[in-house]
Amino acid sequence: MNSLIINYIDNHKEHILNLWVEKMKEKADERVLRVVSNQVFVGTSREFVEMVTSNLNDENEEYSERLRDFAEKVVKLGWPISFVTEGIQVFSNIVFDGIKEEKLVTEEDEMKLFYGIYKRTNPMTNEIVNVYSTTWERTVSLQKIALQELSAPLIPVFDGISVMPLIGAIDTERAKQIMENLLNGVVKHRSEVVLIDITGVPVVDTMVAHHIIQAADAVRLVGSQCMLVGIRPEIAQTIVSLGINLNQVTTKNTLKKGMEAALEIMNKKMIQVGEISEDSNIKTI
Amino acid sequence: MKSVRIPILKLYNCLLVSIQWELDDQTALQFQEDLLHKIHETNANGVVIDLTSIDFIDSFIAKVLGDVINMSKLMGAKVVITGIQPAVAITLIELGISLNDVLTSLDLEKGLEKLKQELGE
Repeated sequence: MNSLIINYIDNHKEHILNLWVEKMKEKADERVLRVVSNQVFVGTSREFVEMVTSNLNDENEEYSERLRDFAEKVVKLGWPISFVTEGIQVFSNIVFDGIKEEKLVTEEDEMKLFYGIYKRTNPMTNEIVNVYSTTWERTVSLQKIALQELSAPLIPVFDGISVMPLIGAIDTERAKQIMENLLNGVVKHRSEVVLIDITGVPVVDTMVAHHIIQAADAVRLVGSQCMLVGIRPEIAQTIVSLGINLNQVTTKNTLKKGMEAALEIMNKKMIQVGEISEDSNIKTI
Repeated sequence: MKSVRIPILKLYNCLLVSIQWELDDQTALQFQEDLLHKIHETNANGVVIDLTSIDFIDSFIAKVLGDVINMSKLMGAKVVITGIQPAVAITLIELGISLNDVLTSLDLEKGLEKLKQELGE
C-alpha cells in the first residue's frame, strides 16, 4: 500500500500540486491571500509535496528534523494555522480521490488506503500544530514578562512619600504583584505615606476595590498609610452604586490634591522661593 | 520543655518588646500574661512591640497579638506595633485579620515618636 501511494504521488506530482493550489485558493479568504503571495505559496506547496513523498521513503531522525524545519518555516511565513491544517486535509483528499479514480485499489482496500495516507500526513499536522503552539506560548510568556515589568512601579517622590501609578486593568495576579511591590517598596524607602494613583485604571469593580482595600490594609499594617488618588467621576459613581465602602482609605480626586494632603501629614509644605516670574515656577519643600 | 520568655524592657513610661524569633503558642500566651503584669507593675502608658525579625505569623499568634493589644488598651496603655514585614502583612490580610484599630509604624524609632504623639507629650 505504501509503495502504491508513493508511486502515485511521485508520478502525479504536478497534477496534484496544481489541483491543490487551485483548491486552496478557493478556500482561502482575503486575509490569507494578503499574507501569502502566489510564488511563495506554490513554492511551499511543492516543498510540502516533496516532504510527503520523502516521508514515505524514510522514517528516521533526519526526517523528523526536516519536518520540524518545514513547520518552523511555515510558522515564520505567518500563515494562519487553520489554513495550513486544512491544506494538509485537502492534500490527503486529493491523493485519496486520485488513487480511487484510477482504480488502483479495490473497494475493500479503500479503508487501508485511507489509513495509509492518514498515517503519512498525521505526523505533519501534529508537528505543525506543535510548532505553532510553542511559538504562541513563547510569545505569550514574553508578553507576560513585559507586562509584569510595566506593572506596578513604586516611585519615591519625597522623604517618606511615594507614589504608585496604576495603568490598565487590574486582575487578581496583577493585584498580588501590586501588593508585593507596594509593601516591599514602602519598607525599603521608609515611606510613611503612599499614594496609589488610579487615573489610568479604566474600570473599578468590586474585585478591584477589594484588592485596593486589601492593599491599603496591608500598608497600614507595615506602619504606613495609603491614599487613593485619581478618582474620576465615573469611578466615584461606580464605587457608590456598587455599595463599596472605601471609608477607611483617604481618597482624593487628583494626584496633586493627594500630594498636598500627604505633605500636610508629613508636616511639610511647598513654598515659593524668590519672586514669581513668568518662566520660573520652581517649587521646593 | 520550658518555654523561652520574651524580654519586656521599660523605657521611661513606655514598655519595649522586641520579638526576635518565631513565637509558638505557649510562648505567645506566656508573653500575653507577662506583658499585662508588667503594665500593671510599672504603670506604663505606652507599649511598643517590634516585629522586625518575624517573617511568619499564623492566625493564632495574630489573634493573641490582637488580644494583647485590646487588653493593654483596657489597662490604659496604648500599643504601637512596628516593623511588620511585607510578607507578614500579606499573610495577615489573607487570613482576614486587619488589626483595624491598632497603631502601626515602619520602625521602632517612628513607633516611639507615634506613641509620644498619641500620648500627647
